[in-house]
Order: sequence, then structure tokens, then C-alpha cells
Amino acid sequence: MTVMAALAVLAGSVGLYPLFTGKGWFWVALGSVLAVAVGGTLGRRLRLPAAFTAVAGAAALLVYLTVLFASSQALLGFLPTPGSLGRLDELFGQGWKAVNDYAAPVPLVPGIRLLVGAGVGLVAIVVDLLAVRLRRAAPAGLPLLAMYSVPAAVRQDSIGWAAFAVGALGFLALLMADAREQVGGWGRVVFTPRWSQEVPVAGAVGPAPAPERPDARSLMSSGRRIAFAAVAVAVLLPTVIPGVHPRGLFGLGGGGGGGTQTVTTPDPLVSLQRELTERGDAVVLTYRTDAGPRPDYLRMYALDQFNGNRWSFSSLSTGDRDRLQPGVELTPAPGLGPVRVRRVTTEVRVSRRVREMDFLPVPYAPARVSVKGDWRVDDASRMIYSPRDSASGRSYTVVSAQTMPTARDLAAGTAFPSEIARRYTAHPRTVPPEVMRLTREVTKGARTAHEQAVMLQRWFTRTGGFRYDLSAPAPRRGDDLVNFLLHDKRGYCEQFAASMALMARILGIPARVAMGYTPGTQSGPNEWTVRSRDAHAWPELYFEGAGWVRFEPTPSGPGGAGQGTATSPSYSETAAIAEQPGEDGRTEPTPSAPSSTAPGASESAAPQGRPDPLGDQGDRGSPQEDDGTPVAGWIAGTVLVLALLAAPMVARALARRRRWSALRPEAAGDGPGVRDDGGAGFADPAEAAAHAAWRELRADAVDHGLEWRPGDTPRQAAQRLSELLELDAETARSLGRIARAEEMARYSRSRVPTSAEVLRADVRAVREAFAASVGRTARWRARLLPPSAMAATSQAAQSLSRAVGGRVRRDGGLWGRVRARLGGWRSRNRDR
Amino acid sequence: MSVDTHGGRAPGLDGLAEVANRIRGAIESVVEGKPQAVRLALTVLLSEGHLLIEDVPGVGKTMLAKALARSIDCSVRRVQFTPDLLPSDITGVSAYNQERREFEFKPGPVFANLVVGDEINRASPKTQSALLECMEERQVTVDGVTYALERPFMVVATQNPVEMEGTYPLPEAQRDRFTARISMGYPDPAAELEMLDVHGQSSPLDRLEPVAKAADVRALVEVVRRQHVAPSVRQYAIDLVTATRNHPELRLGASPRATLHLVRAARAYAALDDRDYVRPDDLQELAVPVLAHRLLPTAEAQVERRRPEHVVAELVHRVPVPAPRS
Repeated sequence: MTVMAALAVLAGSVGLYPLFTGKGWFWVALGSVLAVAVGGTLGRRLRLPAAFTAVAGAAALLVYLTVLFASSQALLGFLPTPGSLGRLDELFGQGWKAVNDYAAPVPLVPGIRLLVGAGVGLVAIVVDLLAVRLRRAAPAGLPLLAMYSVPAAVRQDSIGWAAFAVGALGFLALLMADAREQVGGWGRVVFTPRWSQEVPVAGAVGPAPAPERPDARSLMSSGRRIAFAAVAVAVLLPTVIPGVHPRGLFGLGGGGGGGTQTVTTPDPLVSLQRELTERGDAVVLTYRTDAGPRPDYLRMYALDQFNGNRWSFSSLSTGDRDRLQPGVELTPAPGLGPVRVRRVTTEVRVSRRVREMDFLPVPYAPARVSVKGDWRVDDASRMIYSPRDSASGRSYTVVSAQTMPTARDLAAGTAFPSEIARRYTAHPRTVPPEVMRLTREVTKGARTAHEQAVMLQRWFTRTGGFRYDLSAPAPRRGDDLVNFLLHDKRGYCEQFAASMALMARILGIPARVAMGYTPGTQSGPNEWTVRSRDAHAWPELYFEGAGWVRFEPTPSGPGGAGQGTATSPSYSETAAIAEQPGEDGRTEPTPSAPSSTAPGASESAAPQGRPDPLGDQGDRGSPQEDDGTPVAGWIAGTVLVLALLAAPMVARALARRRRWSALRPEAAGDGPGVRDDGGAGFADPAEAAAHAAWRELRADAVDHGLEWRPGDTPRQAAQRLSELLELDAETARSLGRIARAEEMARYSRSRVPTSAEVLRADVRAVREAFAASVGRTARWRARLLPPSAMAATSQAAQSLSRAVGGRVRRDGGLWGRVRARLGGWRSRNRDR
Repeated sequence: MSVDTHGGRAPGLDGLAEVANRIRGAIESVVEGKPQAVRLALTVLLSEGHLLIEDVPGVGKTMLAKALARSIDCSVRRVQFTPDLLPSDITGVSAYNQERREFEFKPGPVFANLVVGDEINRASPKTQSALLECMEERQVTVDGVTYALERPFMVVATQNPVEMEGTYPLPEAQRDRFTARISMGYPDPAAELEMLDVHGQSSPLDRLEPVAKAADVRALVEVVRRQHVAPSVRQYAIDLVTATRNHPELRLGASPRATLHLVRAARAYAALDDRDYVRPDDLQELAVPVLAHRLLPTAEAQVERRRPEHVVAELVHRVPVPAPRS
């Protein structure tokens, strides 16, 4: 038992793995558990009272921690002294500080190791005390659960399902060992013949040759089946419940183990339109930049997957190496070559009112990010994100390496690395041929990928006849994009960006859709303010040597003519094709109207208005629905838990309803039919009512914890209950009526004289009498967790497990051999 | 649509209850404080069976038998079984009639509606066996000629417990022919006191007038035969009997005839309860009187003083009542 308790704690502690870097913590925990187990065993050997057993365990833990962390100050190297205790205290303080400073996973500094050892040790003490000393194995699951809940609470991304399963199995093993020892206390297992199945033949025949039922064995095996099924259900259920999975308990999506998890957030595209339309003027962030009069866009997401309907980013595997280290330079962005790069420093302050921003808006390509909290960077996309922190109210500084390609640079970069090409030119085969044809038409005459891109952008912004319209419904399916390109030609940045990225991919240019904010409006020298309406999506195309560069297919301009603050880079201008490189690669906006310079609207550089008109744009509800995923998850989870808890009650109520309502159907009205003795089913409604009443009575009795003997005849049952509960005369009569009706329904040819209504009233009266005569606990149990409904469930489970067992028996030769050996052992036992 | 059997009670049941109650009252005026014994006796009568009353001397065995006999207006013969009683003393003999110069059959005491066999186990097995044919087949064969017996025909035999001196235990075959064995038991003090008062003056048996005719009894038997036994109840009877055959403490279980007797008796028992259907409770109450005397305990059980009655009572507790159809 001690061993099992220790194992259970260790198995439970496996769930702590995401909290630490490295694996050293496990050995510390192992030592703690062993120390506690030894201490507890000694305590029991000395027959100390329960409390002192715990003290013994704690003392052993202290000695262990002293040896491990403060042996130099300790007496003889292990006896705690004030000095060693002080050292431990100091380490503890360090550990506590580290815990507060670092986000999980934390490095294993000595203080942390001490905390791990002490924490796991304390859990081990409590488990040891409960399971071994007090023989309460089931409550010992609570400290184990508490231990498991630490990583679950600290980390928003989750704990691997494997770790959960290991912990759960450890606890189950503890329960099993406990049950086994309890049974063992009664002596060896004796198989009693089940008399109802077979009774040895009277006379000199000897022991009956018929096999006996392996009662205990089948119980054990079904117990095991139930245990494994429970663990499996616990692991698998969250994946099938919508809303729970994305931020669920286990990171099933990506790598389950090894400290790498998957980050998933609500579809960024979905929130885009809402931001554009609803929150218009709300300030999202302000920033200072040394980028001069025309800073680059602030990018949050890079959507690199197109499934035929929508753009999304591939799941992010995050690990420790992705963590942003303050002041540490990131590796150069992919694809950078000889193109001129300038370093831009941007100090961003995100508004406190922003919620759930777990991707940082940064100018591409971030090279160094200084931000508090646990932030990671995705190497390929350079998205900065956090699995647990929000950017709300945060200030951070980004040093970006901004590429300044010329049109010539881009024209040269035509050869794409195969890996980039493979990943970023993929598009589903379902892309309609019209779109393919259109793409080729639009880009006819282009010689390079760059020219193709520029022609695409020009088509979108000028020649294609597109109109910026925020009220256009958000594209949901591939058809919507086709419609946008071919017919409707109305849309906002999402449609433009998505379409251009897709068309670029069709042309074989690596492309992705970036999302974030336009530079916003200037609010002071080098200070800019970004508002909700500046939310934007744009395509990023890859050119070897320049890396990912931005294009701007969305018409820009105030007053609803386009995305107000969008600008198109100079290399993307049509003029660029005609070998006219921009001075620094970008056209300069006029200082007074920083919002403007897009080709289509540059002449109308009007003051900042409300470029994305607000209003009653359709489809507003649907983004919210998706955005509410976490809340929905919680609600779904709560509802599920409540539903599970209420299931027996509901099942009971349904059973009651079904019993009575089955009496009502038209079949009842048709006059009495002659009852067929051998047949099933009741021709007579009164008879059905009697059976229903009797079943109700039985269920009520079982619910209230009253003994129900299957061997009782109705009359006997009624009499026994009546005497047992000392029912008053009236209730006893009701009970008698029910019994007599059932008796007649079962055994007589005569019609049951009692009507269904009377029986129903009788059943109610008897139920009330039951409730009145049992204790409060039993009464509430009858209401909330009626055992009759539970029994029905367990019966179903039993038959299921029997079916499973039957299959196992058929399939498994091993099982057969085990049974054969069992049989032999049993017959020897019987002969004895 | 046939509503006849469905809606109402079986015909004749009311009359049966009335007649049965009269007989019961008559007997109980003689045998005080033994309603269950009286009821069982009537049950056996109505199920066309034979009754074995076993108990120590002096508890009213013969009184019960005679009261039953007297309360019905039918032919009654009483045979006192003694060790020297011969088979022909029971069945009758062919005697040579000198006047008519031929053998003529002199019917024995079995030629009656009610035969009270007193202390049946005091006769030799040979004589006891003479009753065999009469009891089961309700006929007597003497010198190759078969004579049918009247109906109703009931043998009420009394016997002392086999441990008593001068007894020949009844063979299994014969015991099996008795529908039920009942024992009287000592009366409770109040009943015994009353008995002193009543019997002190004169024998109440003398005052007993017949309250029913043989034809009445025949009609009642017909009613009982029509009693409804649901399939689940029949199954229960079979389960009970089968259980005795498989019981480790029994050397000999109950025969199929026992099943038959059990269900028949249950019919009558239910009818006496004014019910037109048999319920498992009837079988349970009848199991010991109907089954126990047919069973032979194993030697081990005998050593442990486990009597077949105990075994049957235990089986009644253990064999589950068939669940209703659902």
C-alpha cells in the first residue's frame, strides 16, 4: 500500500512537467516521495497515532531536503540545524521569487527544486496519511488532483493527455491496491456455488460438473474494464466537446509531450470585420517610432493556410526555445538577401481596453522584442504570441529589420526555395477554373513574378473595377471569393488580401495573408495612434533576397472609398515595373495627410474621416459567435458537468413519465381484450397500469434505500415494506392496493379492479411515505441521484462490458488459458 | 370479443367459498385453534388428494380426520391399522356365497368417500401397499376384477412419528401418494383450556352434523380444477420442485407427481381464499406440507438433524419468484 501510494503520487507528479525546463525536477520529487514513504513506514512500524505518522513523514521530508539543499549547514550533513533551516528558508524565498518572475516553464534553479521537493513531498505526506494510515484511498485523490491542477491552472495551454492518463492510472492503482487489501483482510477468496444457476445434484453423483461462475474474477476484470474506460473517456471526451477542446485540458492537437504545445486562437479574420465596423474609433495602441514619416504596418498574424474557404495559420508548436529572451536578437527573417534593410525601433503601448490580444502587433520583421511576460515567436511567420499572457495594457519595444527592396530587387528574386514554394503556394484543387483563368488573364504579359504581383495589385486597386465596401458580407466559403472576384467586386480588405494571396499562389508566387493594423494616424512627432478601424489584412509575397514583402490590393482612401490608412509600397506601383525605383523603396505620404498615398486615392488626400463607415453592416452577429469560444467552452463544460450530474435524476423522471404515459395511448381505449397467457405485452391497460405502478414502487423503494428482495412476491414485498416503515393504515392500504393490482396483473385472468389513476395516486402516497420515513440523506439521494436510475445505467454498462468481455474471450487465447488455470485451481479447491 | 373469462370471477367460486366455509366452521368447532391444519385438510379434499396427518399421539389427529368426515354427508369408513391387519381387510375379499354358489366380492373399507386410516404406519408394509392402487387410481382390483371407487375419494391417514415404537415407516411410494402431510402440533394454552371446557361435557364430534353433500364436494372439485394458474406460477412450481432434486442435503427430491400435487393443492388453496387465480404465495405456503414428506435427506443431513421441512423452507426463501413479463 505504501508503495502504491508513493507510485500514485509520482504518477500524479508527472503532470507537473510543463512547469519546468529540464527533467531534473522529477528526481527531486522522486526523492521526496521516497523519503515520505520511508518516514511514514517507520511511523507505522512504531505504531504511532495517525497524526504522528504524518509528522514522521514530514520529518523524513525535512531531512531529505536538508541533505539535498543545505547539507553543509546541517549537523552531520543531514540533521537540520537553525543554520540549515535558514538556508532552506533563503532558498525557498529564492524559489518563490523565481516563480513570480518567470513564467512556466521555469528554469530549475535550486529554489525551484526545493519548492518542487517540498510540494510533492507534502502531497505525498497527505496521500500516505489518507491512503495508508487512514485507509481512505478515495479521498487521497484530492491532493493528487490538487497537484494536477497546478499546471492546469498556471498554463493556459495544457497538459499532455498522456500525463493525465498516467496520473489517473496511478490513482486507480492506488484504489485497486486498497480494495484488494480490504478484501484480503477477509481471508482467501472462496467461490460459493450460485445456487440459482446450478445446485449439485442430490445423491451420490458427487460434485456437479457444471462450471461455477467466477464471481470474484469477473468482478475484478469488469472493474478493470470500467477503470480503463473511465480514463479513456476522461482523455477523449474533451476532444469531442465543441468549445472545450481548443483551450481544453489537454493539448491533443500538436505534440502532446515534451513541453511543446499547440496554440490556437479564434479565427483572426472573423474579428477583423467587427473591429473595422464596430469599434471604429477605439484606440488600440499608440506607438513611437523612428521610422520617419511613414511607418510600416503593424502585423499580428500571418495566415499561411488556405483550405479552399478560408485563410488560417497553421498550428503553432511552442516550446522553450521559441521564448523571447529580453534583448536577444532573433535569427534573421527568412529570405533576406542583399536587399537594403533599415532598423526601426518602435515603442508600442497597447490600450488597457484591448482584450484578448495574445498576438503582438509589430512591424515586420521583428528582430528584437522587449516585452514582459511569456511571449514566443514563431520562426517561420515571425508572429509574436503568448500562450497565456495578453498584450492588454502592455508596453513593449520592437526593433524591426525593415527591408527596403527596390522593384529591381524583387524582379530578380524569382527563384524560390523549394520549402517555401511548397508551403506557400499550396492551394486546394477545388479552386474554380474561372479564378485560374482570370488570374492568368489579369497577369498576361508579365515577365516576372514581381510584375505579376504588381499587375494583380493594380487590377484590384484600379483597373478591376473593385469597390471598397465594408458592408459586404465576410467571405465564408470559396464561392464567396469567386463571387467577389468575378461578379460582385465589392468587399473590404479581407476579400482583397485573400484574393490576391490566392491568385499569387496560383501564379506560383509564395504568398500569405497578413493581418494587423495600418500605421494609423500621426498624433505627434513620431507618435502614432492606431484605432480599431485601422485593422487591416494584406497579402505578403515572398521574393528571394527580400523575404516577405507587403502588397496592398485594398483600395485606400477616406470617406468609404477605401481603407483609410492603407498605403501601398513603392515597389508595388505600376511604375515600378518601368524601372523606376522609389527613393527608399516606399512612396512618401504627405505629412499633413499621413493616411493617404495609395495609388487609387492619393490625389484625394483628405483629412482623416471615418474611412470605414460604421453602420448596420450585415453579418455582425456571426463573428461574435466565433469570438466567444472560450466563454462558450466554459459554458459548454459547465453544462456538460451539470448534465452529467443531473443525468440520473432526469433518467429517473423520464422513466417515471414513460411508465405512466405508456398507459395513455389509444390502445387503452379499445375495450378489454382477452389476455394471452403465454404472450408478451399487455392487452389490458389496467394490467399495464398495475405493472407500471409496481415498477414505480420498486424504483421508489430502491431510490430510498429500502431493501427490495427479488424473491418477494408482490404481497410479501408490500407487507415487508409496510412493517419495516410502520406505515399508517391509509398508506398501507395504498401499498396493498398496488401489490394486489400487480398480483392480479401477473397471476390472474381477471381484470385488475384498480384504475390507473388510483394506482398513480397510491404510488405517490407511498413515495411520500417512503420519503418521510427515511433520513434526510436518503431522501435527497432519492431525489438527486436515484439509485434505480443509476442501476439502470450500470446494467447497461454491465451488458456492454459483458459484450466486450465476450469478444475478448473469443479473441484472446491468453484469456482462455487464464480461465482454464482458474478452473483447475477452483476444482482443486473444491475437492479439498 | 370474448369478455367472459376476462371480466368476472370464475363461476362457482362464490358457492365454493360458502360451502368451504361451512365445512371449515364445522371442523373448527371440533378442532380448536388449528385453522391452518383445517384449511390444509380442506385444500387436500378439494384437490382430490389424500392427507397424511402425522404427529405424536393425542393432539387431535383422529379428531380432525373424523370431523372432516362427519361434516360431509358421505360414506365414511374408518380403518384402524394394526400390525396384523391384512391387505384384504382394506380392499375387501371375494367370499364364497353358499346360497348362490358363487364368489362374491365383499367390499373393504376403502369403498367409501372418505377413508380414515388411523395409525397407518402401524400396519405392515404389505398392508400399507394395499392402499397404493386405491389412492392413486381410485380403483380396487381383487381376483382380477377391478372395482371403481366412488368420488370424492379421500384417504385421511394418521400416523405417529416414525421414531415411535411399533411403527413401520411408510414406503416412499406410498408417501408420494399423499398430497400433503400436516402435523397438528400442540394447541396453545388458550385453545387447550377451551378444549377442556368443551370436551369435558360431551364430545363435540357427536354433535357435528354434516354441512355438505358429496355432490357439493364433487362440484367444488370441478370449480377448483378450473382455477387459473399463470405460466409464471407454473414455472415457479417447477423451479421449487427442481430445486429439491438438486439440493445437496437431499438424497431424493420431489417427483413430478409432487409438482402436480403442488399445483393442484395451490388451486384449491387459492379457491379457499376466495381467489380465482393462484399466486406464488400459495405455492410458498403449501411447499412444506406438500413436498417435505416426499423427500429423503442424505445421511449427513440426518446427522446434522436437518429435516426435509427445513430444506423446503429454505428453498422457498431462495428460489426467486419468476419476474413478471416486461
